[in-house]
Amino acid sequence: MQSLRLDHAGLSRVLREIDTQVGLLARQPDQARSVLVEALDYLLHYHHTFHHPREDRLFARIRARDTELDETLRDLTHEHEAGERQTGELAAELAALSTRQLRGQRGQRLADQVNAYVRHTRLHMRNEEAVFYRRAERVLEPEDWSAIIAADDGSLDPMTDLALMAARYPRLAENLGLPVKHLGLVERTQPISDELRLQMLALTDLYGGLLHEALELARGNVDQLLAVRSPSGLVRAVGDISSNNLRFAGQCLTRPPRWAVNGGAAIVVACLRPYLKASQDTGSR
Amino acid sequence: MVSWQTRTVELLSRLTIRQSLRRDISVTAMRERIQAMERFFPDVPGDVTIEFEPGLSHCDAEWLTPQSGPTERMVLHFPGGAFMTRFVRAERLLLARICRAANARGRLVFYRLAPEHPYPAGLEDCLEAYRQLLSGGIAPEHIVISGMSAGGCLALSVLMAARDEGMPMPAGAVLMSPAADMSDESEGGSRVVNAARDAVLSLERGDDIRKLYLDDKTELANHPYVSPVLGDFSGLPPLLFQVGSTEVLLDDSRRCAERARSAGVRAEVEVWDRMPHGWQALSFAPESGRAIGRLADFVRESCP
Repeated sequence: MQSLRLDHAGLSRVLREIDTQVGLLARQPDQARSVLVEALDYLLHYHHTFHHPREDRLFARIRARDTELDETLRDLTHEHEAGERQTGELAAELAALSTRQLRGQRGQRLADQVNAYVRHTRLHMRNEEAVFYRRAERVLEPEDWSAIIAADDGSLDPMTDLALMAARYPRLAENLGLPVKHLGLVERTQPISDELRLQMLALTDLYGGLLHEALELARGNVDQLLAVRSPSGLVRAVGDISSNNLRFAGQCLTRPPRWAVNGGAAIVVACLRPYLKASQDTGSR
Repeated sequence: MVSWQTRTVELLSRLTIRQSLRRDISVTAMRERIQAMERFFPDVPGDVTIEFEPGLSHCDAEWLTPQSGPTERMVLHFPGGAFMTRFVRAERLLLARICRAANARGRLVFYRLAPEHPYPAGLEDCLEAYRQLLSGGIAPEHIVISGMSAGGCLALSVLMAARDEGMPMPAGAVLMSPAADMSDESEGGSRVVNAARDAVLSLERGDDIRKLYLDDKTELANHPYVSPVLGDFSGLPPLLFQVGSTEVLLDDSRRCAERARSAGVRAEVEVWDRMPHGWQALSFAPESGRAIGRLADFVRESCP
């Protein structure tokens, strides 16, 4: 049982790496492909060759002891068969696509398929752990375990020894050991410069701040008006609101700011200029 | 590619939480706002049951159990909230999702908050929760500690304090954007470079938070249980950090992981491109599902 649990631990780590590499498929296709090919090969040559037959033997023993789970266990066995077929297909398609195709829509479709495969494998593991691992510990007799152990070929998951992994799957092992992983990186077709992005964020912050203050102010004023209970209270509230709202976001609202005065003057001058020029022309004639 | 759901939340956070953090508002007002925002988070799924007993001495805590056959695994989770507030519903849902994905039970600790209960009250509550699990017969190799933001800082502090007290180490720890440095020396790197990029956090009032958490004893900021990044990582279990590339707290994760590795601890950092602080809790965003799947993989790896 412990060996099956360890297999799931190793598989989980490889699934996490597959998830990392699929995200890089469009950006670094060749590099990601070489790791994914090794990861799928590992799944075919360990999980589908040793781990699943081991589980299937266990399923058969449980079914003999407890018919309640018959249908669930049959489903899980079918999933093993389908999983093996799907792993092989994914590995073949990955190898067949050119670098250019991997960057394009076909690569995206393949990435979606691998993502679905990872999700399904996780769910399959969850179901196995939830449904039958505990049941196996409860219903199986010592002679069942003896028979299962006797039929086992004793193959160990190479994931239990990273040196062994490095010898068989060098690129996968190298990536498993990387201390920092980048996720969600994409090739940006029209990159926005960092400076422009920062300016946009600063603008959002500025207008967000103004909106925030406006809402706070409005809320405070509404609260004050709702609290009015008499005509004198209304006069007091209006007075308070007027005096409290003379400034907004650090700007005095009763006196126009310098830019507004200068801008306004410039507009007036621009509007009057044709008339002034016309009157000057008339005068000179 | 950042999903539209995450982009929307990013914009809303920039207009709300970040604006609140930049202004001099009271802790009470901040808690009220967070409570109002929490209405948008869905309830825990019906197949996860919540129990309250046995509790802890000084704070609330919950047991979460997914009905679909949990294993012996236990995730002990400390929520975030700048040591002063908390997103109760969001953190409960986050832990429920991790537990479901990892076939684990969950222990959610609502440790005491500053400024009413400054350091070390919160840390004591978290340590008590870990002790309770051990004394309740849960083997340390079946426990994974997890923490978000300030809770990530407490998760690292609990590991160090437990090691210093001679307690057995859990199987691993997952740290989601931990705020692992409360000292002054760290006011550079991502805290400066990402100051405008971070959609959620603003450290403009970082000094105030530090003073409230430490009850004005700012000399404590260099203590390893307050700033775990300055602590000794030797003897700690495997660590997994998840952090967004535009977060002000990006360097906290990187520096912790570097120190852990140099102390011989397996530490991995996942840097998620342009993800906002706490995206794992956004149950409606696809990136959150992917992050939870990876966290669950790590839990399964750590507790076979």
